[in-house]
Amino acid sequence: MNAILKPKPHTTLVSLRQLNKHYGDFTAVDNLSLEIEDGEFLTFLGSSGSGKSTTLSMLAGFETPSSGEIEVAGRSLVNVPPHKRDIGMVFQRYSLFPHMSVRDNIAFPLAIRKLPAAERDKRVNAMLKLVQLEAFAHRRPAQLSGGQQQRVAIARALVYEPRILLMDEPLGALDKKLREDLQDELRQLHRRLGITIVYVTHDQEEAMRLSQRIAIFSHGKVVGLGSGVELYQNPPNAFVASFLGNSNFLQATATGNAGAVFEGQAISIRPQAHTSTQQPVLLMVRPEKALAMSQAAAAATPLPPGWNEVAATVSEVLFLGESQTCSAVTTGGTALTVKALSASGMALTPGEAIRVRWAAGDACVYTQWAASDLKKG
Amino acid sequence: MLLTANAMGPRLRWGLYLSTGVIALFLLLPVVFIVLLSFGSSQWLVFPPPGWTVKWYAQFFANAEWMAAAWSSLKVALLTTVFAVALGVPTAFALVRGRFVGRELLYALFTLPMIVPLVIIAVAVYALFLKLGLTGTLFSFVVSHVIVALPFTIISIINSLKLFDRSIEDAAVICGASRIQAILRVTFPGIRPGLISGGLFAFLVSWDEVVLSVMMASPTLQTLPVKMWTTLRQDLTPVIAVASTLLIGLSVLVMLIATGLRRRNDARALELQ
Repeated sequence: MNAILKPKPHTTLVSLRQLNKHYGDFTAVDNLSLEIEDGEFLTFLGSSGSGKSTTLSMLAGFETPSSGEIEVAGRSLVNVPPHKRDIGMVFQRYSLFPHMSVRDNIAFPLAIRKLPAAERDKRVNAMLKLVQLEAFAHRRPAQLSGGQQQRVAIARALVYEPRILLMDEPLGALDKKLREDLQDELRQLHRRLGITIVYVTHDQEEAMRLSQRIAIFSHGKVVGLGSGVELYQNPPNAFVASFLGNSNFLQATATGNAGAVFEGQAISIRPQAHTSTQQPVLLMVRPEKALAMSQAAAAATPLPPGWNEVAATVSEVLFLGESQTCSAVTTGGTALTVKALSASGMALTPGEAIRVRWAAGDACVYTQWAASDLKKG
Repeated sequence: MLLTANAMGPRLRWGLYLSTGVIALFLLLPVVFIVLLSFGSSQWLVFPPPGWTVKWYAQFFANAEWMAAAWSSLKVALLTTVFAVALGVPTAFALVRGRFVGRELLYALFTLPMIVPLVIIAVAVYALFLKLGLTGTLFSFVVSHVIVALPFTIISIINSLKLFDRSIEDAAVICGASRIQAILRVTFPGIRPGLISGGLFAFLVSWDEVVLSVMMASPTLQTLPVKMWTTLRQDLTPVIAVASTLLIGLSVLVMLIATGLRRRNDARALELQ
């Protein structure tokens, strides 16, 4: 059943090479290169204005690149008009044809392609079944709920069997519960059809839930590319680290390949290939990888080898249902957040002096970063 | 706070009813008056009419000159409608979708005939056609009417085009339709209320236009309002009241259709929100 787990040769379907898009002085897409594999579910994740939608639009053909190349299966698409690209697309606002029934909406691409009526009916029926809207075939779009309308839009985009399906924040207008249901449906649909899906969203949870790979966009560039696990556990740079999930940043000075000084205290870091003494380094620890313990508990539990411990003062403890967070400040003024499952307990009170511990192997090390990278978004 | 009929005191409310009634009466009275006169038995347009008759209607329909004028009016109005819509559609698309310098200026230019005194346009058009030797032709009637009808048509089409979600057209394109196919099969049905009401406005403008028409008219070609105007200067027959009633009747019918369409359009706009 899990076709997705079978090892499959990775073949590139779409190549974006040195793609640029300028609007006057504004650079929407900045020398972007990206390979999209055949059959993968790739998500463009980024905040608004990061260039993700513009890139999708260029792939669809609604925007022309200022320079660069777009190839699908080795064929250049730059001069192919959108209606000849044979790409399916689902829009944020469904964009169904309001004057046509559900059936006619789905049949539209086939009618344009002048398919024989019998073949058309067969394919439309199959699509109606796929999106479970057989009972609604004769309704107008306005008579459907948002979720149903989006399913019609998906059926309309798939009925002509395009190799690539583009989705531009298709679930943005739906409420959370419905969105999660449709995300599950989409994942199953992708698994069943083996189609290549390029999905645009600004919702990182949605990106993680849906995609095999995520491309993180910032200022018109792809700043991180990989599976959700890779990007979250080992962000390639400080921007991705701060953009995805929550993170603690510690600024230290390297003392060698595996050591550094943080607020005057020697700590161990992940062995680095190219760090020199006195080089500033940035450590990133995910809140759930760190431990917060009272001084008594710390004294009773020896520090395991390869772990670090710093002193801090609790500023706030929050109970969030399944988890709990503790905000603390080190003696040097660095803010740290520690997250633990409620079940494991974190009996700390504001103002209490504590010890924060983490394993050196769990802290990512960056030698280059910009101050703006550390801010969320 | 919103001032609703219930929130204001009874005195203010009745005052408002009264003033609204007076204004409505003031606007409607001439219309009611002329319609009643067209059925009056006196040939001197006496009010109140001493008796009731339809003989003026019989006279109107039996008179070849009146019928020719009515037929010309209809022909000019229909041709004006066709050309105003045919020119209005590409203009509206350019003004809504175009990204070019001077777009706002062009919009102002296209709506200018609504503001410029009609008589100025009439004199200018008359001078031009006189030079071309085209006064008194169907062509000159239609061209001059299209000039004054076009702003109404353009505004009407622009409004529904702005309301139309362009991504619906893009969806048709990505589905395999060329841009032209997408506009014909998806965008036009989507802006149909605007197209129809734009056409109706053009018809109405032409149907009761008199200033330009008086200039363009010739002994062989004149519209109904022109015929009324010239007849009025010779004698005061109730047949004029008949012609007025027919003019009003058709105008009201067209207005009703336009209002009905606008309601449907508004309902759709609400649905889209």
